[in-house]
Amino acid sequence: MIHDIYSLLRGPMVWLAFCIFAGGMVFRITAMVGLARQKDRVVFDYMNTRYALRSILHWMVPFAGVNMRKHPVMTLVAFVFHLSVLATPLFLCAHILLVKASWNLSWWFLPDGVADVMTACVVAACGFFLCRRMLLPDVRYLTTASDLFLLALVASPFISGFWACHQWPGYPVVMMAHMLSGEILLAAIPFTRLIHMFFFPFTRGYMGSEFGGVRHAKDW
Amino acid sequence: MPEKIRFMGSLILLMLLAVLLCPAHAQEDIVRVADRVFEAPMRPPVAFHHDAHNEKAGLDDCSICHHTYENGKKQEGSDSVGMECSECHFSKDRNNAVDLINAYHLQCNGCHASRKAGPVMCGECHRRR
Ligand code: HEC
Ligand code: HEC
Ligand code: HEC
Ligand code: HEC
Repeated sequence: MIHDIYSLLRGPMVWLAFCIFAGGMVFRITAMVGLARQKDRVVFDYMNTRYALRSILHWMVPFAGVNMRKHPVMTLVAFVFHLSVLATPLFLCAHILLVKASWNLSWWFLPDGVADVMTACVVAACGFFLCRRMLLPDVRYLTTASDLFLLALVASPFISGFWACHQWPGYPVVMMAHMLSGEILLAAIPFTRLIHMFFFPFTRGYMGSEFGGVRHAKDW
Repeated sequence: MPEKIRFMGSLILLMLLAVLLCPAHAQEDIVRVADRVFEAPMRPPVAFHHDAHNEKAGLDDCSICHHTYENGKKQEGSDSVGMECSECHFSKDRNNAVDLINAYHLQCNGCHASRKAGPVMCGECHRRR
């Protein structure tokens, strides 16, 4: 029984999650480009590689923009969060050993201690975002149930992964909950606001192009 | 009198023998996998009661695990008993033991998964305590 569930989560479900993730991403990007072509053709005229890259790079450097300097705590938490949420799963020793076992591929990985700290950072940052949503009146006003759901979606594979890795009580169940929650998160990315992972270069690039090429101003 | 001495003497000899043999026997019993290559292990050691495991799993053929290969083909009827897996399965890059780890994982997990018996998740083998 346990073996059957485990094999399902370890094999077919991983494929399914990655296919939905990749297919969803391609679908959302083509749909967006198609919509822009239909409704807002000027977008393509304004797009300027130099200004787009300039803006994207600027927004990826911590404290490079005025708005970031105005909110130092949020900026710090957001950067640590995004770095950790991407790097931890990609460079986790256990994940790489699983990829090695399946496809005989491997790459550099983080020491487990560092991965532990980064996972704790992700969970703490999710807590911070939750508090911010509950406590700041203007943010609270804009908060809906879907925002809280999204935070839970992102936090759950990290909480269960940390729990399983430290073999706290309930190991086999928590381990499988970790696998399932990670697969759900991966598949959900294209169909939730987590799509900003792929839309970010387009939206930022467009803003940069318009500000740089049309208004002759900076957008940071 | 001589009988008594002889009896005592053989008793002492027997006890000496037992004392000498016991630790030697205990040493031979493999209770965990401990490849010398993993000098600073990242994970807790894997409990593996060699003989009990193989009896319970019904593995009489040593070459299922202690195999030999020639020209990429598994050799039936010959084994590599007495050799550590790392003697053949160490990656070319000595700082990176991923190939050796993978050999262990493929062999142990591969059989457990296909027979639906035995541990398959990291923490079931690398138990912290
Ligand atoms: C399930 C796989 C498996 C089977 C089957 C198996 N062994 Fe082993 N054996 C191992 C592993 C794993 C080790 C530990 C290697 C290490 O720690 O470096 C080991 C170690 C040994 C060692 C000690 C080697 C050393 O260098 O310390 C001997 C001797 C041995 N096995 C003999 C046998 C014999 C004889 C049989 C057949 C009756 C057998 N094994 C069947 C997996 C197996
Ligand atoms: C005498 C050298 C030698 C020893 C000792 C040895 N192997 Fe191998 N092993 C080979 C060779 C050669 C191959 C086939 C070439 C290849 O694919 O790398 C192989 C293939 C494998 C494979 C992939 C094929 C399969 O059977 O699934 C695994 C897994 C493996 N070995 C695990 C182990 C483990 C675990 C041990 C220790 C119990 C061990 N080997 C001991 C030489 C050895
Ligand atoms: C050829 C098949 C096979 C191979 C190879 C194999 N195992 Fe197993 N193992 C089994 C089976 C079958 C069981 C379940 C035995 C049972 O509980 O009836 C098992 C059970 C176990 C258990 C649980 C023992 C218990 O008492 O509950 C451990 C731990 C284990 N294996 C470790 C290993 C390790 C470590 C390796 C690799 C060095 C390994 N096994 C290789 C077949 C295998
Ligand atoms: C069936 C049992 C089994 C399972 C399940 C298993 N391993 Fe292992 N693993 C082993 C054995 C046996 C070795 C060799 C241990 C040794 O020689 O000390 C090993 C070695 C390792 C090593 C290298 C030694 C060290 O501690 O640095 C790492 C890292 C490792 N395993 C991580 C994992 C991870 C991560 C998982 C889950 C994805 C996992 N293992 C699942 C049996 C297992």
